[in-house]
Amino acid sequence: MSLPNDPIFDVVDITVWGIDVGIYDFMYSAWGWPIAEVVHFTGLCLLFGAVGTFDLRMLGAVRGLPLNALHRLIPFGVAGFVLSVVSGVMFVVSAPDQYVYNPAWQIKMVLLGIAGANMAGFYLTTARKLTALGPDDPPPLGARIFAGVSLTAWLGVIATGRVITAFRPPAWFWCAWCGS
Amino acid sequence: MDAFAWMEQTRLSVFVREDFYAYFVLLIFHAWGMAFLVGGGIVFSLRVLGVAKGARLERFAGFFPYMKLGAAMAVISGLGLLAGYPAKALTNWVFALKFLCLGAAALLVWLMARQFFPLAASGRPLPARAKWLGAACLALWIAGIACGKLLLYTNWILLTSDLVPAG
Repeated sequence: MSLPNDPIFDVVDITVWGIDVGIYDFMYSAWGWPIAEVVHFTGLCLLFGAVGTFDLRMLGAVRGLPLNALHRLIPFGVAGFVLSVVSGVMFVVSAPDQYVYNPAWQIKMVLLGIAGANMAGFYLTTARKLTALGPDDPPPLGARIFAGVSLTAWLGVIATGRVITAFRPPAWFWCAWCGS
Repeated sequence: MDAFAWMEQTRLSVFVREDFYAYFVLLIFHAWGMAFLVGGGIVFSLRVLGVAKGARLERFAGFFPYMKLGAAMAVISGLGLLAGYPAKALTNWVFALKFLCLGAAALLVWLMARQFFPLAASGRPLPARAKWLGAACLALWIAGIACGKLLLYTNWILLTSDLVPAG
């Protein structure tokens, strides 16, 4: 497959950078890819556990727990996110064309963006109003909507991430920004 | 191997392998199920370890139905995946280790809930062993994930039809 005329991503440059910093050699060593996969899904479980627990409480699915207290779990979710991002970058750098032109990966990135924007919207508009909420109080509608979007987006991230391998170039090739 | 060869010829096994969507739909449900089960398990372990002390421990029982739902999703989809490639999983010791770790983690959650929820509900402190049990539980959940991810790299056979008869 010849390389596409891509004005945004230079997959050769990305690969060269990966080789220069040592990521490429690590990933193609005997246990590089498996270790990165273990770290990636462990991070995702940590993230989903912490954020999902908070979201389920905000949806009103679980009562008797103050949101303020549950929020103490969020730093662990952030740690999980960092683990997933670092290992995810290692995947992409090691085989960039298999990811940046892959429909599943592109949708995963859009869903990550939605999850991030949703989180920013939650902290900017709603989080402060929840500090006075008691352990058994039902959360307001706005909080429920943020929680629903969050859970849906993260489940989507997991699903699309799982099927990246099914939509690999050259059999599948998405590049809306590439020139002819 | 004869049993695996027979299983590989069943309609379900052929469908899982040959339908473009079947295998990946099963993988998605397996990942969702594991995320609910292990995600909940990790959070419960962290709470036992002392994170989010303001949230009453016994109220975490409210998350158990979601963990059970996750476990059911993971088991049903896992059986589907197993039907597709029985020899791949059942000849790999890492597969057995995965179940050992996840089973032990689930057993620890059940034991800790049984022992510590009544203490927490009556406002009494948890015993010193709680931290050890919480740490062990956390380690077992992560080990279960690790084994699951390593299955792809540790199997020595995909299908019995790949085997070349001796002689």
